[in-house]
Amino acid sequence: MILSLAWKNIWRSKKRSFVVIGAIIVGVWALVFMFAFYNSFIEAFSRNGVNHDYSHIQIHNPDYLIEPGLEFRLSEVEALEQSLNGSQSVKSWSGRQIVNGMLASPKTSLGVQIYGVVPDAEAQTTGLESQLLDGTYFSAIKRNPILISEKLADKLKVKVRSKVVITLQKLDREITAASFRVEGIFKSKSPRINESAAYVRLSDLQSLTAVTGLNEMAVYLNDSELILPVKDSLSAVTNDLVRTYREIAPEFDMMEQQSAMTKQIVTVIIMLALLFGIVNTMLMAVLERTKEIGMLRSIGMHKKSVFRMIILETCLMSLIAGPLGLFFGYLTNMWLETNGMDLSAYATALEEYGMDAIFYPSIENVTYPILMMVVIFTAFLGAVYPAIKAIKLDPLEAIRKL
Amino acid sequence: MSVIEAKSVSKIYNPDTIPVHAINDVSLTIEEGEFTAIVGPSGCGKTTLLNMIGGLDSVSEGHISVSGVNIADLNEAALTDFRLKNIGFVFQSYNLIPVLTAKENVEFVMLLQQSHQSAMDERADELLTKMGIKEVSQRRPAELSGGQQQRVAVARALASKPKFILADEPTANLDSHSTESLLDIMAKMNEEEKATFIFSTHDQRVIDKARRIITLEDGRIVSDEKK
Ligand SMILES: Nc1ncnc2c1ncn2[C@@H]1O[C@H](COP(=O)(O)OP(=O)(O)OP(=O)(O)O)[C@@H](O)[C@H]1O
Ligand SMILES: [Mg+2]
Repeated sequence: MILSLAWKNIWRSKKRSFVVIGAIIVGVWALVFMFAFYNSFIEAFSRNGVNHDYSHIQIHNPDYLIEPGLEFRLSEVEALEQSLNGSQSVKSWSGRQIVNGMLASPKTSLGVQIYGVVPDAEAQTTGLESQLLDGTYFSAIKRNPILISEKLADKLKVKVRSKVVITLQKLDREITAASFRVEGIFKSKSPRINESAAYVRLSDLQSLTAVTGLNEMAVYLNDSELILPVKDSLSAVTNDLVRTYREIAPEFDMMEQQSAMTKQIVTVIIMLALLFGIVNTMLMAVLERTKEIGMLRSIGMHKKSVFRMIILETCLMSLIAGPLGLFFGYLTNMWLETNGMDLSAYATALEEYGMDAIFYPSIENVTYPILMMVVIFTAFLGAVYPAIKAIKLDPLEAIRKL
Repeated sequence: MSVIEAKSVSKIYNPDTIPVHAINDVSLTIEEGEFTAIVGPSGCGKTTLLNMIGGLDSVSEGHISVSGVNIADLNEAALTDFRLKNIGFVFQSYNLIPVLTAKENVEFVMLLQQSHQSAMDERADELLTKMGIKEVSQRRPAELSGGQQQRVAVARALASKPKFILADEPTANLDSHSTESLLDIMAKMNEEEKATFIFSTHDQRVIDKARRIITLEDGRIVSDEKK
């Protein structure tokens, strides 16, 4: 009964109700879109990090973490190789020798990390080959080929087939150098790799350093769900340190926490704005009806029924608006999930952070009911003060104020 | 037992600042089935007296009992319930619920009493027919004339068969024709439904229709005649 009266009351001032309903729709839609956008941001960031830099799991000598250096190599490479090659869960893996050195061109020289890799394994694990902008992938140049990033190439002012010299310190502290020829120039989706990595063949690096063995193994899995079981089984065969990409790079967790916090803050801000709008509108609706509410109280409507009526009016509006906002948000996301959102105008800045220029916003289904509850709760909160005002009215008003 | 018994009732507004003695030592009894007018010049205390009888305003001195219940003994919620079950109200400016149809307005008090839909339907139809406004029962108040609206208001007040109906200047906003027909209908309801009416008025034609006339002056009863 009160429900149907509340429902009818909503439509007595259509314009005002539409403003409230419209505001809720826009607010909810904006939240859904913002959530989806953030999710795709995070998703792109971790996807690029996993696919082109860290892989799912990496293995190091525990001391390598304290001070990365040639001397801290993996101790049980063979056992690991066996375990990795025999695992159904592993898509590919790449063993690397990594050494810090100088890369010199006729113009200038730079400090870089030199990765000695097995070309095929590296291509399958980090997609290095697919990221070439220019040149070829360890096939055209027979002696000492090297791949460098576009960024390094610019700094060194070298091109494909240019000659560069690697200088490094061997384990016995003796300095050694060798000349390499640039075979390819790549642009990785990982900003870290673009900044300082150069790739050579493992065998070339091993003969330069006069050291066999590996400093790092990166493992790419068929499915990210498999990370923990594979980590456990690898830990069982080695004393070396097996870590997941989240353990290696805290920025993934940080990004996620930051995004969760940002989502919460924006939700609170939008809900606060809605809250003030609702309080204001409902207060107006109550004050306009002073006389009518007084009459209702006079003829025997209880305070709690009047209170409920005002609360219901507001919550009903949120029940109309909430689903509409969610639905529009859902449609927008559906469209963007298939078509993508082209942000190539900001490509340079985005690439700095390891993002893609095209976003595919997506959202967890659970977000919809949660947002719906938040909206209803906001409407309820916004109605409380006007409803209290309404029941504080003196029923005498009905007869006095003619 | 009398429906209403007022004993030495006084009302003083603003007792702490500028006291206004709106009602002074009024005693009166209303019996079931009365058709009583409270008359007197503006400011004599008609509205104040009706509000106190209706449990909308407090009594400063004395006490009022309705069917033997002292209304000063009731708390807020009990008083609301008491009004709902015992008193029908008709206001000068109709005060119908604008979003409901005439029929829904008539049913409203019964709704608050949680009556059955079929009983409400039947009662509302019966009253609207008696009031001669059956054909406009699906219209909203804004689509009705003042006279029609006030008839809906009387029907609403009668709907739940209250002990009595209070009407403060029910005809003040009506033209003479509507005034007369409203009074005729009230008189008819008084007969047919055995409804007790207490109304205030300035209007001589309304006074003429009353069967008991209580005249107030400066908050005191100066005459009380029955016809
Ligand atoms: N809320 C109030 N506060 C102070 N004084 C009041 C209040 N209500 C009424 N009065 C005073 O009490 C007296 C009686 O008022 P009341 O409204 O009962 O008169 P009335 O007979 O109904 O007048 P009218 O015919 O104009 O409606 C008047 O002097 C009025 O000024
Ligand atoms: Mg008056």
